[in-house]
Amino acid sequence: MSESTLTKSTPKLDSDASLAIRAHDVSKLYRIYSRPIDRLLDLLAPDPKRSREFWALRSVYIDIPKGSTVGIIGQNGAGKSTLLKLLSGVTEPTTGTVHVHGRVTSLIELGAGFHPEFSGRENIGLACSILGLNAEEVRELTPRVIEFSELGDFIDRPVKTYSSGMYVRLGFAVATCVDPDVLLIDEALSVGDEHFRGKCLTRLNEFRDGGGTTVFVSHDLGAVKSMCQNVVLIDQGEVVEQGAPERVATEYLKRVKARGNERLSMLQRGSHEYPRWGSGEIEVHDVQLLGGDGQPTRVLRTGEHAIFRLSYRVHQSVRCPVFGLGLYRSDGTYVCGTNHFWREQPISIDVVDPGETGEVDMAVPALPLLEGQYYLTTFLYDHSKPAPTAIDHREHVLTFQVVDANHHQHGLVQLSAAWAVRRQRAGGGAPENLESGR
Amino acid sequence: MIQLLGSLRAHAPLLRDFVRRDLKARYVGSSMGFFWSLVFPVISLCVYMFVFRTILRVRWEPTPEMVAQGFHEQSPAMTALTMLAGISIWTAFAETLSRSTNCLIENSNLIQKVVFPSEILPPYLCASALVNMCIGLAIVLLGSVILDADPAVGWAFGFRPSQLTPALVLLPLLMLLQSLFTIGLGYLLATLNLYLRDTFHVIGVATMVWMFATPIFYPDFIVQQKGYGWILDINPMYWLIEAYRDIVVEAHWPDWFPLARYFAVATLTFWVGSTFFWSQRRRVPDLL
Repeated sequence: MSESTLTKSTPKLDSDASLAIRAHDVSKLYRIYSRPIDRLLDLLAPDPKRSREFWALRSVYIDIPKGSTVGIIGQNGAGKSTLLKLLSGVTEPTTGTVHVHGRVTSLIELGAGFHPEFSGRENIGLACSILGLNAEEVRELTPRVIEFSELGDFIDRPVKTYSSGMYVRLGFAVATCVDPDVLLIDEALSVGDEHFRGKCLTRLNEFRDGGGTTVFVSHDLGAVKSMCQNVVLIDQGEVVEQGAPERVATEYLKRVKARGNERLSMLQRGSHEYPRWGSGEIEVHDVQLLGGDGQPTRVLRTGEHAIFRLSYRVHQSVRCPVFGLGLYRSDGTYVCGTNHFWREQPISIDVVDPGETGEVDMAVPALPLLEGQYYLTTFLYDHSKPAPTAIDHREHVLTFQVVDANHHQHGLVQLSAAWAVRRQRAGGGAPENLESGR
Repeated sequence: MIQLLGSLRAHAPLLRDFVRRDLKARYVGSSMGFFWSLVFPVISLCVYMFVFRTILRVRWEPTPEMVAQGFHEQSPAMTALTMLAGISIWTAFAETLSRSTNCLIENSNLIQKVVFPSEILPPYLCASALVNMCIGLAIVLLGSVILDADPAVGWAFGFRPSQLTPALVLLPLLMLLQSLFTIGLGYLLATLNLYLRDTFHVIGVATMVWMFATPIFYPDFIVQQKGYGWILDINPMYWLIEAYRDIVVEAHWPDWFPLARYFAVATLTFWVGSTFFWSQRRRVPDLL
């Protein structure tokens, strides 16, 4: 029964037995109605004028061989979730066909269908029968699920008493212990604590080694690259690139950059709402961010050569002005504040006169920031007095994004670190030194 | 319809699990559990007995002319059993209807994330309600065996094994017909509710009106006397409840004509409801 249940949306078996999933010319149309009653009227007498068409996916072709791990990346709203729903058979394509071999379970449904009043054990039984297992298989499987979920005595308590982590653990245990042929994973695994996450990754690797097919959907490029041999890039409902992770990742970054530039410069138009103060003898009228290619940008890569450029115009004479920059992460974390005066070899400007214009560059040879959104604050202070006073202080003048394709490090900054391992093997012999380099 | 029945058959184990889960949820969550399924009908019985019999003086006692036509008087005990039978049957029907209307939305996290046979939802709700109804009917049957039926005696025990007639074999058939009717309506309303979420609210009001239009708390001949007999002629639930009462309380075979009519209406309803549901089934995940 289980097989027929789960593949009932794909009654015809694919002729090519080496493929786990085959999507052929798949499109999905959603109709958007402004009034719910229109949908009912459309049922009785269809009239295209009542609704707007929204194509979530258009002519998608995907072949996924058995035993492979394929990543699907795309930005929010690109159609990833719709594709996943089609592959899992939850919805049906408007045109085209989807063929899936064998049992599909997906980690999008972690804990779907658990009943809060029942114990974990009872819920395992019910969840398995929803997935199409018969009573005997459920009996056989339950101890494995319980063991993997590490719920201990909690397994016989009502699910409503579980913490969210325990809930997800049970869900993950059920989804992976039922021996699916194809596993669909939505977004990065945010399953409980570090220990359990490690266990989950081990489980996923075992699944892959056992010949299982994994489809992994994310907008996290690093995670996709580390897990998948093949990547499909979706943008606005269409497959724009598929193939080796490196190639697709480059294309993805290009699109993120283009989209990011567009979005962030929109964001920037409202930047005068942030505070700006000072005596105003000199005006910082423009702030630019230049990428490795010397072109203005709003998206940088970790390790990229970056220049922060301030353009100024002098209205009245000032002695000893100092330009500075403050760098913040989007959550307000103060990353770095620096100026050209407080340095080993300071630059000091003795006096500026009206009419003068100029540019001040701060160059960072290899940007150490890791993935995230950041913003800049510019400082222009008069240092001729014992306590510097503001000439033109502009808060939050520019927002930019950092993307990191490698994902070798996590957190805020990339440390230029070298690893070394010194091994002294049992039984003597020469010590062995291993070094990672920088 | 054939495909739908086939699918239900294929998913019978899942259906069973859902019914089991629902019955457990009904009785497990609360401390008194099973007890509540008895208390609720008994309390409502007391309320209705007080309102309709004591205050409004509605009697299951026919006029002399009607006695001449073969009607006979009913003791308060029998009235209580008649009402309880009606309440049990109606509750099963109304509860299934209301829960079926909302069942797709309530289980949207399942339907949208797993390949889930949503066609099992109304049948499982109906089965669960029928189990509850059987408890009520069992009490009615027990009461009609151990309570004295003589109106002059009032409330008194009297052992009457003659109440257990061969007509009882019809009960499974009645339940089957009731299921067809209820599930058919359930499919129809559940699907409609996807298009118009107001359906759920309309159903709440409609079942209340329907309940009072059905002779549950008052005898049917009053309606006929007042010239509203047509209401009974178009009310399938009246035909059904009368048939149940004939078997369980009155201990004789039901009238065949209303039963045949009910059979026709139930089959038709099931056909319409299930066909509509089946035609929209593939769109369900997109409509949630």
